[in-house]
Amino acid sequence: MREGRPAQALPLRRDGGAMDDLLVLLSPRLLSFKNGGVSRSAGNRRVRAALFVAVGLAFWIGAFFLFSRVLNYFQGIEELGDILARKLLSMVLLTFFSLLIFSSIVASLSKLYLSRDLLLVHSLPVTPTKIFLARWLESTVDSSWMVLIFSLPVFLSYGIVYRAGPLFYVTAGLAFLPLCLIASAVSALAVVVLAVLLPAGRIRTVFVFLGLLLVVSLLFVFRLMRPERLVNPDNFANLLMYFREMEAPGSPLLPTTWAYDSLTAALSGLGGETVFHLGIAWSCALALTFIVAWVADAYYFAGYTKAQTSAEKLFPPRGSGPWRKRPFPRLLSGPAWAFTVKEFRTFFRDQTQWPQLFLIAALIVIYLYNFSVLPLGQSKIRAIFLQNIFSFLNMGLATFVLTAIAARFVYPAVSFEGDAFWIVRAAPLSIRTFLWVKFGVYYFPLLLLAEILIVASNLLLRVTPFMMGLSVITVFLMVPGVVALGVGLGAAYPDFRSENPAQSVTSFGGLLFMLTAIGFIAAVIVLEAGPVYRLFMADFTGRSLTALEWLWLVVSFLLVLVTCVLAVVVPMRLGERSLRGDGRD
Amino acid sequence: MIVAERLTKRYGTTLAVDNISLAVKRGEIFGFIGPNGAGKTTTIRMLAGVLRPTEGSVLIDGIPMATAPEDAKRVIGFIPDRPFLYEKLTGREFMRFIAELYGIGEEIAREKGDALLIQFSLYDWADHLIESYSHGMKQRLVIASALLHAPRVIIVDEPMVGLDPAGIRMVKDLLRALALSGTTIFMSTHTLEIAQDLCDRIGIIHRGRLVALGTTGDLRGTARLREGDLEEVFLRLTGTEAP
Repeated sequence: MREGRPAQALPLRRDGGAMDDLLVLLSPRLLSFKNGGVSRSAGNRRVRAALFVAVGLAFWIGAFFLFSRVLNYFQGIEELGDILARKLLSMVLLTFFSLLIFSSIVASLSKLYLSRDLLLVHSLPVTPTKIFLARWLESTVDSSWMVLIFSLPVFLSYGIVYRAGPLFYVTAGLAFLPLCLIASAVSALAVVVLAVLLPAGRIRTVFVFLGLLLVVSLLFVFRLMRPERLVNPDNFANLLMYFREMEAPGSPLLPTTWAYDSLTAALSGLGGETVFHLGIAWSCALALTFIVAWVADAYYFAGYTKAQTSAEKLFPPRGSGPWRKRPFPRLLSGPAWAFTVKEFRTFFRDQTQWPQLFLIAALIVIYLYNFSVLPLGQSKIRAIFLQNIFSFLNMGLATFVLTAIAARFVYPAVSFEGDAFWIVRAAPLSIRTFLWVKFGVYYFPLLLLAEILIVASNLLLRVTPFMMGLSVITVFLMVPGVVALGVGLGAAYPDFRSENPAQSVTSFGGLLFMLTAIGFIAAVIVLEAGPVYRLFMADFTGRSLTALEWLWLVVSFLLVLVTCVLAVVVPMRLGERSLRGDGRD
Repeated sequence: MIVAERLTKRYGTTLAVDNISLAVKRGEIFGFIGPNGAGKTTTIRMLAGVLRPTEGSVLIDGIPMATAPEDAKRVIGFIPDRPFLYEKLTGREFMRFIAELYGIGEEIAREKGDALLIQFSLYDWADHLIESYSHGMKQRLVIASALLHAPRVIIVDEPMVGLDPAGIRMVKDLLRALALSGTTIFMSTHTLEIAQDLCDRIGIIHRGRLVALGTTGDLRGTARLREGDLEEVFLRLTGTEAP
């Protein structure tokens, strides 16, 4: 031991002002954003940003025109039009609020308990309450900005169609902000309290599950309400009852009701009433801000400490069992089989995957339910004609659903290796085999899913045997392409450092996958559409196809086959080449 | 300078740290060793105030961690085993971030920060993004930033991981110099030669319990060995001797 003079500590500020510390705690995020332009991935970022802006703008413009058109249509319906427009506004606000709650739960859970820099900031001389507040502010902005941006075309279309004055636009901004704050505060409160109560290590799973449950229930409620009935005059038999249902106000305790009341008051130019309802919303938002800070002061650090503990076992420990005999030894090498087994085990043991499976099941039920309620009999167009058009479009729609599922599971499959990717590099297994193992693991379940979707929806549509056969074969040819695009592009743009690889679909590579897959689906549908229409019409009118039409049919289907093969080969090779060349650790 | 009293941590039904009491004096280099999963990192995190103990208390320079954590942390320089760095910040920006959080004045922060960056051979890279640093450079930056506020206590978990031989020598010399100037160092390591070479006293943790404490000579006595280096003592005390 040394008995030297004590180290001279630097003159430190005893305690920084709350705002100073908050700003300092937020500075890494702000500086990281600023430095993004000089990052080594800046070029990639710029392309990604341009892509995001283009897709976002297209969606924004589309939403604006859709809402403007719907509102104009409503305006044309005497007396009932305004009620419908108001009902739509309340439904939109409720949807936005639910989205805000869901994204706030995910964002605050991640920012408050799971971020990798928490160990660093908690070792610094800052109170946990200040850390909480900085993180809460970040999560509020993160969870709200996108909903805020996409709410603008809705408010803008209401403002333009109803020729609102400046009061409406100011109110729209002032009404939406407390909605964001309230959603974020309620979510943070729930996260902080439940983090103390829930068993350690299960916090993330439980919250993801609760969040998805909320979204699925909303989807079900919305779907079972059958909003398409609202615009069907046949259902207006009991007009009084309909009016009563439409005009029923929302609960006065719901923040969306305050936003709705202030917006409708502003649309009618009632300044005093607008301020009154805005006042209620803002007072609730501010009160919740204080409550959330107070609760965090008492419970945040206790919950954070608990979240650091390792996950308790959900099931009692069990032996790994005897070695499983390798099937198809000529097809699957030892390492390939080992990776296949690992893939299945890690997938089903990762409890964060389970809620996603429930979500998929729910989406499939809703998808099929939509087909069961299609008003085919009410249409003036002959039912058989409509049924077959729907069946044709259904091929595109089913593969699009498949693409969305692949974006969540297949695209991040390579990135999921994370820090363990060195094992793949060190293993006596080629990158090509590794990628084909990934392909195989996802291909069979997704093929089964796609065929179930297509056959079930075709049975509900009661299509002709020809359309059933065509759909089943086309989907059989397209599924390998979608899966290979996911695996290949996921390997070409891997993110082994991501805290949550499942979110990598929002990365540049993820967007590229979505766009390429949609392009691939569109190409196949367009190639088949022309000849199938001719074939269908020939059958309908009882004539036979001409030689030129036969040639068109054969060439089109050959091109479909070539496209499907290319969709498998090209991305898999691209991914393989990229992973082989990526020697970084 | 560091006093841990009956420190206990339970993870659910698992007892990770079991009733550990120890005291480290000013200017002492204390080595903390143990097999994998023995409870080293958990103990270190409780001492640094990033984990709340289930039972027991920690005093840093007489400041109770439980009731005045911010004051206690102001005295500590903490270097975790797997440190996180903001990849999109430059080295200099990261140092500034730490300086602001410790309330170091701008002028002093700049002078001290630059001096540390030079000392740790990072000055030429100070304005590059951390994402472009090698593993060793990141480790050096973490150590430099932990020294920025001239802490009276340094708590460090595996300080040599990722460093090249020159870096290891530099850190060893630095820790010795800091201890000579009165800084207390609590260090966990798997490299027993470093512990033997550097530490005044060593604590051995095994299955959450402190099974031995003292100089290498004391530990030899505890292990009932007349001779032998720290490795032999460690293997005997933790029951992990090769057959």
